[in-house]
Amino acid sequence: MPLTGPSAGRSSRRLRGGWTINRWAWLAFPTIALLVVFFLAPLVLMSLRSITDPPNAGLANYRTFFVSEADVRVLANTFYIAAISTVVCLVIGYPYAYLMNIVPPRMAGVLLIVVLVPFWSSLLVRTFAWEVILRDTGVINSLLISWGLISQPLSLIRNTLGVILGMSQILLPFMVLPLFAVMRRIDPEYTRAAANLGAPPAAAFRRIFVPLSLPGVAAGTLLVFVLALGFYITPTILGSPRETMISRFIADQVQQRLDWGLGSAMAVILMVVTFIALVLASRVVRLRDVFGALEDES
Amino acid sequence: MAPPTRPAGITRAATIVVIALLFSACSGGTSPSPSTVATIAPTTAPSSLPTTAPSASVAADVCTAPTAKAGTTLTFASYGGVYQKAQRQAWLEPYAKLTGVTFTESEDSANATIKAQVETGQVTWDVVDVGNDFGLDANKDVLEPLDYSIIHKDEILPGFAAPYRVADITYGVVLAYRTDKVGGQVPQGWADFFDLKKFPGKRGMYDYSAGGIFEVALMADGVAPKDLYPLDIPRAIKKLDTIKDQLVFWPGGAKSQELIGSGEVTMSLMWNGRAWSAKNLDSKPVAIQWNQQLLTSDYFVVPKGTPNKDEAMKFIAWATCAQNNAGPSQFIPYGPTNKNSKPQADKVPDLAVSNVNGTTAYFDDQWLVDNAKAIDDAYNAWKTK
Repeated sequence: MPLTGPSAGRSSRRLRGGWTINRWAWLAFPTIALLVVFFLAPLVLMSLRSITDPPNAGLANYRTFFVSEADVRVLANTFYIAAISTVVCLVIGYPYAYLMNIVPPRMAGVLLIVVLVPFWSSLLVRTFAWEVILRDTGVINSLLISWGLISQPLSLIRNTLGVILGMSQILLPFMVLPLFAVMRRIDPEYTRAAANLGAPPAAAFRRIFVPLSLPGVAAGTLLVFVLALGFYITPTILGSPRETMISRFIADQVQQRLDWGLGSAMAVILMVVTFIALVLASRVVRLRDVFGALEDES
Repeated sequence: MAPPTRPAGITRAATIVVIALLFSACSGGTSPSPSTVATIAPTTAPSSLPTTAPSASVAADVCTAPTAKAGTTLTFASYGGVYQKAQRQAWLEPYAKLTGVTFTESEDSANATIKAQVETGQVTWDVVDVGNDFGLDANKDVLEPLDYSIIHKDEILPGFAAPYRVADITYGVVLAYRTDKVGGQVPQGWADFFDLKKFPGKRGMYDYSAGGIFEVALMADGVAPKDLYPLDIPRAIKKLDTIKDQLVFWPGGAKSQELIGSGEVTMSLMWNGRAWSAKNLDSKPVAIQWNQQLLTSDYFVVPKGTPNKDEAMKFIAWATCAQNNAGPSQFIPYGPTNKNSKPQADKVPDLAVSNVNGTTAYFDDQWLVDNAKAIDDAYNAWKTK
């Protein structure tokens, strides 16, 4: 994960416009060069391709996308699945991060490792593991059937449930880590003070702790949501075609149909829509706080 | 947190960009990276001059005593696994021995890679094994026309040789079923595949609009194999709707083999080689119903602009000769495309070409390519609904 480096703020020269920089900043140059050559340039070329392939395509590729029943449905699907995954991650991740915050440091370390261990194994491996667990002839259904609890296998896979389970598990660290980073910085004296002033624990939690943890909620939510939008393998393996996400369609255009103009247009559409979502989010939450949370992680 | 000295607007904009970058950097699935595997070098010196009499035809030389320019290296791209291993053992290794050609291989044949190589002028593949959806005139911008002065077009099965492609192996898109889950009955064709009352259980299906899904639905609905095209898509979709909830889609051969092997599906549309592997290599109770199979093939193509064009043509001519074309069928049940080619007797029953009968259907590749967009749009609209 390309997290931001330590702030280059202190003891540094001040440039016009309020930017500050010091000579250590030059260390970022290779990264910037790399991004320009291998990311920004291809991105620009791809965007150009979306309006020049076939020649003089103009907005034809975009029109093709928006008149296609399947394309628009899959784009909507993508946001729907990303949103559910995000909510599930938050619901599971918040109590978990809170637990990490209140247990002794050693225990918190163990909890941290429990979150991180799956994070260190490949996304594909975890997705296939979920498949083995969830499928009709998988671990859960075989056990339940052999115990005589059910006669027909439960539908755990190749539906929205399977996709959400897989994606939430894969994305959970991206929710827990920013949450924990923010919660750790909340001074326990605040809630203690609230209690001293007569607030019952629930009220102290709700009116003091939760508002102070919101930057972490914002960071985790945004991160998980945006990452979820790009999922491709997991929904293909754990979902049915009804759970197809847009990245899969882009890959189909590029690899199967060889329509790179339309594929580029679809990629640009996903990027722009994601961008719009971020801009809208930035009106509600302060993205600076989001990155404040991330900086503490690095 | 120290108050920042930067204007909030810039920070916010920068943050959005960074998050967008982060998103793009992390969200990729698996992108197949071209890998070059096993290099085959000739183990003996190139054979000396052909022993046939000088009056022998050039064509005979191509089949029995091929020659190549000294120092030739050909890159052969196919689909990897046991399939490519069979091609390697039956074609590449003997050809290397006969001619002194050195082969390098890629196991990631992909139409998109051919297009990318030709577009960027970096053509590194010389002979590519592709599926039946590629190599027609629609792709002429990225392919070399084949040299039929040395390739024996008249010996290739009718319809399996075209200006830019020639079939190298044949296979069947077949109905495979679990013998332990059909209650002692044998599914007779695609109508039984769609009959959930008679044969309960899930069905495996290739997740590709031109992979046979519409064809088998129409056959199940009573359309005769010879009357399949032009495909009546709405009729096919209506039929497919009757089993939609029981369909399990597979993206590639390995997955189909695993789905039927694990018993996750009772029946599946499969490539006959994969069904054979499930039965013979994985020892699963799987059988093939050859009725209403779709007989099709993989094709050799030569990407446009390869510096080894002439040598590539000679290899293709050799591999499609009667003597050589059935070679891979010793290792995997994918049969020859040369009418005169004789597979080993004990392999014959497992080959799609040996099981051709009055019910056998064929893809109309030209129609499928001409209508690819309409078919694919209809398929996507149906499957995502």
